[in-house]
Amino acid sequence: MATAILDLEFENLPVEITGLERYNKALVLIRLSGRPVGQALLPVFGGRIGAREMHSTLMNAAGWTMWERWLHDFLGWDNACTTNYVPPLATVAVCTRDRTEDLQRCLEALMQLPDDGQEVLIIDNCPSNDSTRRLVESYSRVRYVREDRPGLDVARNRALREARHEIVAFTDDDAAPDPLWLRGLLRNFDDPLVLCVTGLTMPLELETEAQEWFEHLSTFGRGFRRTMFECSNLSPMAAGKVGAGVNMALRRKVLECVGAFDEALDTGTPTLSGGDTEMFSRILASGYRIVYDPAALCWHRHRRTWKELYRTFYGYGVGVYAYWTRSLLVEGELSVLQFACQWFFRYQLLALVRSLLRRPDSAPLDLILAELRGCATGPWAYLKSRKLLRTKNRQT
Amino acid sequence: MSENSSTVSVIIPTHNRSKSLLRTLDSLRVQTYPLEQFEVVVVADGCTDRTIEMLRNYDAPFALRILEKRNNGPSAARNHGAANSSGRLLLFLDDDVEPTAHLIEAHVQRHRQLIDQVVIGPYIPVFQERDDFIYVARRAWWENKFYSMRQVGHRYSYQDLVGGNLSLKKDLFNRVGGFDSSFPVYVHEDYELGMRLINAGARFTFCSEALAYHHETVDLDRSLQRARLEGRADVHIGRRHPELRPVLPLAPTNMSILSVDRLMMALAFRRQKIGNEFINCLRPILYLLERARLRRRWSILFKGLLSLSYWLGAAEELGTLQELENFLDGEPAHFDDEGDTQLEIDVREGIEVAERRLDEERPASARIHYGHQPVGRIPSQPGSERLRGVHLRPILATELAIPLLKEMALESASTMRSDAGLLYKSSQAHS
Repeated sequence: MATAILDLEFENLPVEITGLERYNKALVLIRLSGRPVGQALLPVFGGRIGAREMHSTLMNAAGWTMWERWLHDFLGWDNACTTNYVPPLATVAVCTRDRTEDLQRCLEALMQLPDDGQEVLIIDNCPSNDSTRRLVESYSRVRYVREDRPGLDVARNRALREARHEIVAFTDDDAAPDPLWLRGLLRNFDDPLVLCVTGLTMPLELETEAQEWFEHLSTFGRGFRRTMFECSNLSPMAAGKVGAGVNMALRRKVLECVGAFDEALDTGTPTLSGGDTEMFSRILASGYRIVYDPAALCWHRHRRTWKELYRTFYGYGVGVYAYWTRSLLVEGELSVLQFACQWFFRYQLLALVRSLLRRPDSAPLDLILAELRGCATGPWAYLKSRKLLRTKNRQT
Repeated sequence: MSENSSTVSVIIPTHNRSKSLLRTLDSLRVQTYPLEQFEVVVVADGCTDRTIEMLRNYDAPFALRILEKRNNGPSAARNHGAANSSGRLLLFLDDDVEPTAHLIEAHVQRHRQLIDQVVIGPYIPVFQERDDFIYVARRAWWENKFYSMRQVGHRYSYQDLVGGNLSLKKDLFNRVGGFDSSFPVYVHEDYELGMRLINAGARFTFCSEALAYHHETVDLDRSLQRARLEGRADVHIGRRHPELRPVLPLAPTNMSILSVDRLMMALAFRRQKIGNEFINCLRPILYLLERARLRRRWSILFKGLLSLSYWLGAAEELGTLQELENFLDGEPAHFDDEGDTQLEIDVREGIEVAERRLDEERPASARIHYGHQPVGRIPSQPGSERLRGVHLRPILATELAIPLLKEMALESASTMRSDAGLLYKSSQAHS
């Protein structure tokens, strides 16, 4: 049975939740005065969750984060910006390709954002028809830009160049940002060394087995505490820890400080993913900072079918190794070798053995193998992708 | 130039950096503050390059005064410039600092708000296209320095007084005696003045609008040399201000027993020659680590070398470990502030009330209560300003968060017993 997704405000808990007949458990996002402070898994009996178990379970699950949040509210104190800081203006950019139905949900969510003067930009990447353009035209406040060179990183670079404002906040077409998402990102740009802010991404639905496994094995969530990353506390070779491209904002001056996204990486190229992580990695390596702030909440619709999930895991394997290959060859980061060994021996090998032994809670074997296969192809995929890119650039 | 109450004197000490100085002068031409209302006093401190020639030929749209003296450091040069200036407000700029157009206006504006102010403006490292580890570390150091001062609730200390973009009234400057001309080295002389200003009760403020860019040369040699000078400077500061000795990096309480610092201290004092050789031998390794982009290992080695240089500097001043012990002797291991003014504050009466009381009384330390229950102390810090109202909230929200929440929960335990119990559990787990 599937898992229901609930979004509950702690100060305003319902007496009872009913109508969950299709589910046997519920994943609850816990908020305190609007800010996410934790998540909890609650059992569903006969389609309902009672009030009694709810209160104490949620409080236990959120723990210290909730109390801290409550105290900060009481004191009127903000841990992100304590100066008289006026957030900069932002451009929200969504890179999309032939996913009009998903994009519509994303646009609807973006229309719920309070108007702080932000611009919304849709980069239509190498579309096969004009349905995206027609959809975007029905929103008067949204700007449409068509980018004919395929590749997610190509589209991201286009967004950075097209944006009219200082900050570019990226989300994916299969995501739906919370109304306070953008403000949650922007409040962190006070520190001039912060070039990038990432946020909390929760599952929009957990209806299929594939979605449950994705959330279990490869969640986008990075916890409920605001964290500042720099190369002294996180190696650029482990940059995946800071978040993902589905929920990130960059200062546009990232272009001059660390360079553009590597167009040989990510969806639309042989490397399949890794473009966002590689950018995080370069930001950290150049001595700048990245903040992860759970106040910037966005919901992501995970892949529904097993086939898609399989491809995603394969793609992640390829992407990580492609980005490491770049780091090793282009940036000369020798510690890649150490991280690759660590990842293999500490995690991948262990997961493989557990799965072969059919231990409870172990990951499905085909997913582990998909990731490993991806890792093995990653370096070649990157080299191939660069070659392709060079040929294409020469042609144009 | 006649004595005019609105006149600002911009004082720039310089030593053989004519190109850099020219850039600073050029950016003073385009100030939004009226050109006839400020003068620029350049103190050429034993210049042997073309500085004087450049200055004589410089067609300045503002009053430009050129002073020459024999080289004995920025402190003496700044004092000389201040003594030969006509303005009531002194604005010190370094010769590698490039002010933006609003800088003077921003300083002047800020001085209208309060008397006895010391206004510190940021001079952030100018953007350079390099990502070598030393540059990255140095840039982060500067940015952190200015970022921390920008926070509401920042408690200023003598180390916040950085001399590259700084203004204060001439009478305050004279009252504390200006820079210490006898300061033996050319670093941290600004910190030393900062200490006297803090003691005189001057109000430090940070002015983001008075923005400037810093064209600093950053390399390994300079960093190591600087660390060595800082070691010497700290001894000098400790001699002049014994109350600072417990908080200087020289004090053993600031090192753990088995730390690299302690090892370096022993090496620097006992085997000075080996210490110097040590640095030379390890430099190639530092280079190799950087080539392989092995950040963490590089950083450990770099910090070790900085620490060794610092201690070599301290050893030059003090000579032996016995001397170091004598230097620190008589100072308690922990700073004892029981005798100092301490305010009792009950936050249950309201945060605003507590903040007002702090602003009125300006105590060195405070004891926080919630109702009858003690929550904790805000200790006095040697070299830091006395408490103000704005200091309270950040401390309650971070350092004192757990005890404060516990007291608040205990008080309301009768109405929400289960919540209080859960809070107690989670705060235990957290602490």
